[in-house]
Amino acid sequence: MTDTHKTKAKHMLRRDVLRIGGGVVLSAPFVSRAWAQTTEINMLAWYGHGEPDIVGAFEEANNVKFVPKYYAGGDNMLALIAQSPPGTYDVILSDAEFVQQLNLAGYIEELDANDYPFDDMLHEDFTKFPGHWDGDTLFSMMVRCGHLGVSYNTTAMSAEEASSYNGFWKPELEGKVGHFDWHLPNLGMMSLLNGNGAGLWDLSDDQWAAVQEKTMSLRPQAGGFFDYGGTFNGLKNGEMLAMCGIGDWITGALERDGAPVASVIPAEGGIQWTESYCIGKGTDKADIVKSFIQYMLSPEGQVKSAQMLAYPGFAITKAGRALLQEVDPAEANRSHQIDGMENEPIALINEGRIHYRDIPQQQTLEDWNDFWSEYKNA
Amino acid sequence: MKGRGLNIALAAYVALIFAFVFAPIVFSLIFSFNSQRFPTIPLGEFSTEWYVKIFNDPDVWQAVRNSLIVSSSTAVLATTLGFCTAYTDFRYNFRFKGPYLALILLPPTIPLIIMALAMLAWLSRIGMSGQLWSIILAHSVLTAPFAMAIIRLRLHQMDPDLEAAAWNLGGTEWQTMRHVILPFCAPAIVSALCLTAAVSFDEFAVAWFVSGLNKTVPIVILEIVQGNIDPTVNAIGTFVFLTSMTLVILAQVIFISRQIKSHS
Amino acid sequence: MALRGHAPIQGGNGLSGRRRIDIYALTWRLPIILWQLLFFVGPVIFMIVISFYVVKNYRMTEAFEFVNWQRMLTRGFFWDSYWYTLFIASISATVAMCLAFPAAWTLAFRASEAQRRWAVFLLIIPFFTSYLVRTFSWYVILAESGVLNAVLGYIGLGPFRMLNSHFGTIVGYLTLTLPLAVILQTVTMANIDKTLVEAARNLGCKPLATIWRVVLPLSKTGFIVAALFCFILAFGDFVAPFYLGGSQEPTLPILILDTTKSGQQWPRAAVVAIMMMLTLFTVAFAAIALAYRKPKGAKT
Repeated sequence: MTDTHKTKAKHMLRRDVLRIGGGVVLSAPFVSRAWAQTTEINMLAWYGHGEPDIVGAFEEANNVKFVPKYYAGGDNMLALIAQSPPGTYDVILSDAEFVQQLNLAGYIEELDANDYPFDDMLHEDFTKFPGHWDGDTLFSMMVRCGHLGVSYNTTAMSAEEASSYNGFWKPELEGKVGHFDWHLPNLGMMSLLNGNGAGLWDLSDDQWAAVQEKTMSLRPQAGGFFDYGGTFNGLKNGEMLAMCGIGDWITGALERDGAPVASVIPAEGGIQWTESYCIGKGTDKADIVKSFIQYMLSPEGQVKSAQMLAYPGFAITKAGRALLQEVDPAEANRSHQIDGMENEPIALINEGRIHYRDIPQQQTLEDWNDFWSEYKNA
Repeated sequence: MKGRGLNIALAAYVALIFAFVFAPIVFSLIFSFNSQRFPTIPLGEFSTEWYVKIFNDPDVWQAVRNSLIVSSSTAVLATTLGFCTAYTDFRYNFRFKGPYLALILLPPTIPLIIMALAMLAWLSRIGMSGQLWSIILAHSVLTAPFAMAIIRLRLHQMDPDLEAAAWNLGGTEWQTMRHVILPFCAPAIVSALCLTAAVSFDEFAVAWFVSGLNKTVPIVILEIVQGNIDPTVNAIGTFVFLTSMTLVILAQVIFISRQIKSHS
Repeated sequence: MALRGHAPIQGGNGLSGRRRIDIYALTWRLPIILWQLLFFVGPVIFMIVISFYVVKNYRMTEAFEFVNWQRMLTRGFFWDSYWYTLFIASISATVAMCLAFPAAWTLAFRASEAQRRWAVFLLIIPFFTSYLVRTFSWYVILAESGVLNAVLGYIGLGPFRMLNSHFGTIVGYLTLTLPLAVILQTVTMANIDKTLVEAARNLGCKPLATIWRVVLPLSKTGFIVAALFCFILAFGDFVAPFYLGGSQEPTLPILILDTTKSGQQWPRAAVVAIMMMLTLFTVAFAAIALAYRKPKGAKT
């Protein structure tokens, strides 16, 4: 019976294909990292902090492997921790404003201040950064920072026009101004534009009303609200010619890729974002996490952080900055991390032109967020 | 002839629809071979660096493996549940039938991100979060309604007397099920399997929340898109696309060979 | 006597008539009850409960307060988003069904069985490629400096602004729903009784009238199910209005995500979710009732 032979052959062929195909998929490269006897460290962070360019050297030297869970937004991070069993995450990277929330909710362990190079900080403020301490107890270690200002397409706007937030209202930019979809930096910038200076987060009712009014006047210029991916695409393909709420952390990466974009700190002032490491409560690997945090604060770690592939940041220790200038002068130059340079970040802080990002003081986050939703719906 | 002109116009329209559906996929394929990190036209140079990057990343392979396990398990579970419910709806009338149907049809009406958080909270409480099983459970709940709807649609086309006829001819209920109903529903069951697998394969909101530290392919893509946008997403997308094309063609070949066998 | 679409027959082994536990019926009836109770009802009830919780110090604390409901439902932007989402999802479902129809009709009535099978299989493929990746591909095509505008530029049109607008949102929704609409419509129309269509033609009915008076009524169930799927998918989708529409304007799913950025306000996000759920629930049941209702005057 030729029929049964044929069908048998077909069955075998089908089986073989499935088997071989399945085998290829299931056995394919686990080859890269040797996993024998390595300790796994669970990391909760923004994208990029667990990638080889940052942790590779530490992993090899200490026979550990980082298992990263990446979030986009501190709120997702908090929700995840809140619902996960304690001890799920060993090391947590968080924005400074969220550190306060992490601490209040009891998700992080105490740190010993003596373990970390507080005497080598580039600025005094970094030694006692708000929210990281509870009285004299340290809960979170600052590791890098960056500045937010006016981000723009250099072919559509001159550096002079960009040296003030008023540049966003330039008539030619109607419908071409994008917003990073988060109320905090955007409204902070509007607050600075209104002249609130160092009190930008501490608004009285009148000041808050003024900020809302100012923001609403920008609505006709706004072309859309974007997250990380949308921002990159918008700036790169020219849909958006200016962006509110971001800084060099995005335009730096785009610049590296050859796009005609830049960020400047305008006259009214800029905002600093700060990232810090914490040890997750309930972890049993506190020691190795501690040495990892120390590594990231060492000159080598600081350089890696400044050169991070995902998005660039400033080195915060003197030794780190010195090593960066030695090892990667081009990047140090590009990001103004050379003493005495124009727009050098520490000088800007000292001049009072940089304000640390913080949560609103007299309103709640809800109030700001509600207004932001109103703005989007307008 | 008017008929032929109409046929050509219709065929062109179908082609247009397919073009719309496949354009993003084709472009993704093109840009996966493009050297630029952010795709714009004119194109950069031809480059396979993004493929090299994902092939060398063990996390991506692990994610592919996880995705395959999750989606195939989900497909089987969801289709089984969907079939049970569709058949019950088709054949039986009972007192709480309304709520019964609601039980299976409700999941798609709930926005994913809230469902995601609720599932994480719930599964943590019963100690089942953070594993691949968590995703499978969650996805089966989400996709069962689709399976049920497809199979119910098929049953709707069946003559209900068929079952009674089989019984009259001496078959038990189980035999009737096996020899009459299941074969009739076979195309719908296959469709349900494919659709539920597909929905599960591409779901990222619930998966991100309940999976703990396990990654599936959509989670990897989500992370790249939200944190480090580069054409590796296109490489991953193209790889998945080519794999599913292959599976589809294989399925067609098997189907055709079975047709030939049954006709010869 | 053909009993198409009649009420389901009572369960049980009709031949014996003994009162016993109907294992057969239970086998089919029970699994879904148990499964859904455990893994679906649990989370949903939990979600409803969450909407009454209060957030203190960025942690949800158990409570039974109406503050979240009161706060959310009195906000203008909530109702703006609500009506907009309803509107744009309905439009996109309608557009998807209309765009799909000529193609589905061709595949059902003019294509061969094999061609139809190939077409349906091909249309399933997009479901296996990442929706996110496909969405991002649209950037290059629809951007002002993108492919479509370049092509239109050759004919001297444009450039048009397609991204970050309602148009972009609809394109995104179509990416999600068009393949499904075509598949469901094709499968439905391919399975109707062709003899009825032939009879109508033989009796002198013009082609378009045949479609309107014979094909569509026969396909009613499948079409309503298809439209319902398209609506539900569009209503709950976050990706299209966010990435391709630029949140111009924001829809309810975007609002949910935004609300969570108010300092862990998951209870308030749950309120929005429950409103969405109630809406979809109502629409779904109305649609299903409509789909499976027997036409008036039909012989049972």
